[in-house]
Amino acid sequence: MKTSAVISDTIGPFPSTIGEEKAAALDYIRRAQSGDVDAFELLYREHSGRIYALCLRLKGGDSSDATELMQDVFVRAWRRLSTFRGDCAFSSWLHRLAVNTMLENARSDSRRIARVLPMDDTSRLAGAARSSGVELKMDMENAIASLPRGARLAFVLHDVEGYQHQEIAEQLSVSVGTVKAQLHRARRLLRERLER
Amino acid sequence: MTHEDVRHLLDDYVTGDLTEDAHGPVADHIAACEICRAEVDSLKGILARAADLPKSIDPPTEAWLDIRAAIERDKEAVATNQGITGRDFWRRPYALAAAVVLAAVLSSGATALYMRSRSGDENSSRSAAGTASEAGTPATLAAFTIEENTYLRNVAVLQDLLDQQEGALAPEIVAQLKASLRTIDEAILEARIALARDPANKMLIEMLSGTYRQKMDLMRRTAEMTRGS
Repeated sequence: MKTSAVISDTIGPFPSTIGEEKAAALDYIRRAQSGDVDAFELLYREHSGRIYALCLRLKGGDSSDATELMQDVFVRAWRRLSTFRGDCAFSSWLHRLAVNTMLENARSDSRRIARVLPMDDTSRLAGAARSSGVELKMDMENAIASLPRGARLAFVLHDVEGYQHQEIAEQLSVSVGTVKAQLHRARRLLRERLER
Repeated sequence: MTHEDVRHLLDDYVTGDLTEDAHGPVADHIAACEICRAEVDSLKGILARAADLPKSIDPPTEAWLDIRAAIERDKEAVATNQGITGRDFWRRPYALAAAVVLAAVLSSGATALYMRSRSGDENSSRSAAGTASEAGTPATLAAFTIEENTYLRNVAVLQDLLDQQEGALAPEIVAQLKASLRTIDEAILEARIALARDPANKMLIEMLSGTYRQKMDLMRRTAEMTRGS
């Protein structure tokens, strides 16, 4: 069984140490580690928006798949809270858990036939774009969702989430050259689709 | 540097990933080449739009309810087996050693319980995932940290395997396994806190390493049960 997709929790664009977490968040983490579900819910409230946005983009805008992935991430997070060692920020730990979960699920999903983006898929992204008052963002979200999976993963992780090439290569178990090629492809496709 | 050479480097140029040596010639070419300038502008536009996307999107409001329900199911399973111990017990100095012994006892108990319920099935095979390390205990915290990453990866793989195959085990075994794992996890957490205070303590490293091995062994044995069912 492939384990290389399970990545280190000490890399990435998020706060790099637990010292950067708010004191209240630390208290919630400790309480949740002691089995306090209410404290874990507070952590969920604080982090679910960012994790859901990531899941939505990784899942190509499919809100149903994204919700399922996000739920899986938080249930796994609860079960593995004791492994959170505090040598990175909780948000960073959660983020990596989301990417790992998506990659692990992708292996079991690989037999599925690629689906056309249903109407519902774009509605939530559209809502987010409208709420921020910029219609252009909707075009961008749609264009990202329409990218081939490899190109989409590379683009979301690098250009949206801010990971480095090397980090993405480790996460996806591919070479840095492959990541760069996927990024180049993603940007080229986005330009073609957005500048039509 | 030819036009084609430069075109292959435009992504790195825009994201600032070009080496110092390459940057000058590429910049010179772009300044003189209308096609490359247009491509750079277009790439910058894509990156700006990516950076401008919302970082947070509200999930469906009902999403938490399913998560909470899954957590409560976990807690119930653990609660039915919590008579064995309380948190205070595991705060005592002998907690780690006790956890290791308990893991072995409980894993043996789970094995025995399973074997009684499934007599005659002797075809359990070793799981391909997460084979426990039989290597010696790392002598330093740095060596242990490397080994710990391997433990955590294997534990994650085994946990996923057990999550997927939970339905194949008797409920009492699942409950006992979860209670045992929670106890071991608490011991691991306590040990890590102690090790953070005393990083050079080899006894703590040995105990922590042993506890991880016991956890993997317990999970592996249970996975083997599932594979044999």
